[in-house]
Amino acid sequence: MGLYLIARIADERIALPAGEIGSVVEVDGVAAVPRVPPHVAGLFALRSRVLTVIDTRTSLELGAIDREALSTAVIVEHEGHSYALLVDEVEDVIEAGLPESCPALLPASWRRAARGTIRHGDDAILLIDPATLVAGPEPIAA
Amino acid sequence: MGVRVDDLLTDFIAETRETLEALAGEIVAWEADPEDRARLDSIFRFVHTVKGSCGFLDLPRLQRLSHSAEDVLAEVRSGTRTPDAALVSAVLAIIDRIGELTDALEANEELPEGEDEFLIAALVHNAAAAAAAETSAIAKVNVMPAAPPTRGVSRSIRLPVELLDRLMAGVSDMVLARNELARLLRTGETSSSAEVAFERLSLCVGEMRDAITRTRMSRIEGLFAALPRVVRDLAGELGKTVKLEVDGGDVELDREMIEMIRDPLTHIVRNALDHGIEKPEERKAVGKPEAGRLRIGARQSANQILIEVSDDGRGIDADRVVRKAIGAGLVTAEQAAAMSWSRKLELIFEPGLSTAEKVTGVSGRGVGMDVVRANIERIGGTVDIESTPGQGLRLSLRVPLTLTIIPALTVSAGGTHFAIPRSAIDELVRPKGDQVRIERIGGELVAFIRGVRLPVVDLGRFMGLTDEARPSLLVVLRAGGGERYALGVEAVHDHEELVVKPAAPALMASGVYAGTTLPDNSRPMLLLDVAGIAAAASVGVAQQPVEERPINKRRVKAALPTLLFRDLDGVMRGVRLALVERIEDVPADSAVETGGMRMLPLQGRLTKLYSAADLPQTGRLRVLRLSDGGAMVAYAIDQVLDVVEMRGELAPAQVAGPIAGVVLHDGGPVEMLDPFWLFTGAAPGSANDDSPLCLVADADDPWAREVLAPLLGAAGYRVTLAGEPIEDRVSVVVTTGGAPEGVDAPVVRLRGTPDGADPDSIYRYDRDGLLRALRQHVAGGK
Repeated sequence: MGLYLIARIADERIALPAGEIGSVVEVDGVAAVPRVPPHVAGLFALRSRVLTVIDTRTSLELGAIDREALSTAVIVEHEGHSYALLVDEVEDVIEAGLPESCPALLPASWRRAARGTIRHGDDAILLIDPATLVAGPEPIAA
Repeated sequence: MGVRVDDLLTDFIAETRETLEALAGEIVAWEADPEDRARLDSIFRFVHTVKGSCGFLDLPRLQRLSHSAEDVLAEVRSGTRTPDAALVSAVLAIIDRIGELTDALEANEELPEGEDEFLIAALVHNAAAAAAAETSAIAKVNVMPAAPPTRGVSRSIRLPVELLDRLMAGVSDMVLARNELARLLRTGETSSSAEVAFERLSLCVGEMRDAITRTRMSRIEGLFAALPRVVRDLAGELGKTVKLEVDGGDVELDREMIEMIRDPLTHIVRNALDHGIEKPEERKAVGKPEAGRLRIGARQSANQILIEVSDDGRGIDADRVVRKAIGAGLVTAEQAAAMSWSRKLELIFEPGLSTAEKVTGVSGRGVGMDVVRANIERIGGTVDIESTPGQGLRLSLRVPLTLTIIPALTVSAGGTHFAIPRSAIDELVRPKGDQVRIERIGGELVAFIRGVRLPVVDLGRFMGLTDEARPSLLVVLRAGGGERYALGVEAVHDHEELVVKPAAPALMASGVYAGTTLPDNSRPMLLLDVAGIAAAASVGVAQQPVEERPINKRRVKAALPTLLFRDLDGVMRGVRLALVERIEDVPADSAVETGGMRMLPLQGRLTKLYSAADLPQTGRLRVLRLSDGGAMVAYAIDQVLDVVEMRGELAPAQVAGPIAGVVLHDGGPVEMLDPFWLFTGAAPGSANDDSPLCLVADADDPWAREVLAPLLGAAGYRVTLAGEPIEDRVSVVVTTGGAPEGVDAPVVRLRGTPDGADPDSIYRYDRDGLLRALRQHVAGGK
């Protein structure tokens, strides 16, 4: 069993491992950063810490969105840096079983980011690895 | 259980390494003086500890090595064996091996086992094997400093308990202050008591910051401890004798900075031994002691650490450097001719210029001083060089105390703010008039600043924030490696101390940012990587700054280029640009007050310093270096405002002083400095190579040596005492007795009493008379 945070990205319900999440915040006044990969939306100060804001739709290659419209972000730590992952909205925190393997017919971008699926009631929800969102559309290893 | 052994292993590795670093110097010192019981004891304790821990941690190889070293050292302690060079070398080889094995242990690697036996065998009476082991150890040492590959990044640190106590006490105070503030907020008390509580909290935070910063500090000793060993091995290899003096090991520096300085410093030391210090026979031939002297010292000066490395070797011949630079196509002969001695010396920092006549195994592969300078500049430091051929060389590294808090300038372009490290900024100029202008050449912007052409990077366009490059201000930046460029910005906002943190990898990968920071307005800001921008904008070799040829232009009458600046008392003043040799930033505490006047060391010589108000006691002091072609004075200012063509007429001041008068400029009055007054006060002295040479005939007379010679020196003469080798034509001889034989020069005679019998002589305390007579003779002789 594990705790998962259910959020929406591009109208898709996704799950994030709750253990890797610091908090959920409202962001506004994101300072844009020039000359960086497109999935980096900018910088945001939260309680005197500087967070790097990630446009998760671009990370998942789901097309650009109006960043101004998004204000909810999930805070994660990755390799010593804090990131704010922009999401459409945060729905709930649920308890679910261990993730199962992904369905076969998944678009490539989702497949790269998914660690598996979790069962919640009758729904199967994709479990997303925050690190792949941080890394952006091009795998860093490439 | 497994976890606990791992922990123990990590502790063991950290502890062994720490002791090894400290021990390197001890062993060399022990070799120099084998009778030194205290040193022998500390080496013995080390191998003994290693042996003990190894047995417990089940590390048989380390145990065997340390055990055999312990046995031999025990024999030495009990007096049954006397330490000779072979024995010391064998012990050194064992300790090196322990170090290698420790590194391998941390990296989880295996080292070939065969050599262990060899090393242990060398410990037992066989001198030949010891010599062989020594060579192999040296070979290893040589590779080590260049590539310590296995060293992990995350290293544990040891802190004094006292410091931890201070931190804990600070946290308690903060909690109390927080509680009080919370209570006030709950009860809605008056704002004044909330303010008091807030003040207290702020104070706590400040103290905590200091304490935390101290935990990051480490004594520079750790860096210096490895040097005796490096010097010993290298000197042995090169067949040179070197006496190393290390000073200031107790200076504290950010741990990270120490790591960053390690390689450049080692490189400088190796250079000094390889190229600087001569072989013993060579030194004897030129009358120097056989053992060369290498002195390394560190001291704190304001918020910088100064590390000086000096040797008494052959120094660097700037003219030879210039010839090589011309040969390598780095400068033209014309440019070289216009260079000062120190500028010529600085050429050794140019990439692709190695002054070694032949490539040796130690240094001189063409990767050298340019890398040293690049590394030091990367951490916001500077490198200065001074050298007298035949006398030695001194390199001064200045580095900031810490990497995390840096003074920065805030600029903006396209509505976005950026910070620029203050250490990378040469000057701020506004393109206006003839002295500073921007031209478009082949689609690229080029700035002409007082005759020097610099490539321009427009920040707004570079960052993709604006379409059109229309910089209103230029920030002249040093990109490292002596390269400069002008960054075009829209506005300059503030100068503040910023706490800089590393940015996320995705940002750092862009190569143009050095970190993130949060200024007071709590809107995140990026610190620019000055060298990275230069590389990304390909401000390259093709656009190297080139001296612009003076263009013959029809000069508008009476339009004089003038540097406008804000003085320390807040008044806007101007000075003729032709007099300004440089604008320099110096540590505020380098100004000294002596003999009723302020002096500032510039170019190794004390220069008179003027200021309109009290000087700041800390931080940096900005001075104008003014020169009339001979004498030099410094004038402290607040900041440079602009360079303009001044056409107005001067309304002269009524009294003589630093202000010559007032000129109307742009509808406002500007006070002009009076160069005549400033230079009159400057010591006419500071003799240079062209000054007339004055021979003092009575070298044995203390008065002539101690009173007369300094007076002549202060009056601008070069002085030589009779009996010293005469290198140049003597212009005039001063004597209280007879004139020396064989010197063809006019003679000025001095007498001991005011009224003397000889009408041609001058009373020896008649300063004016003496100087007048000297002037007449020198003028007559020419």
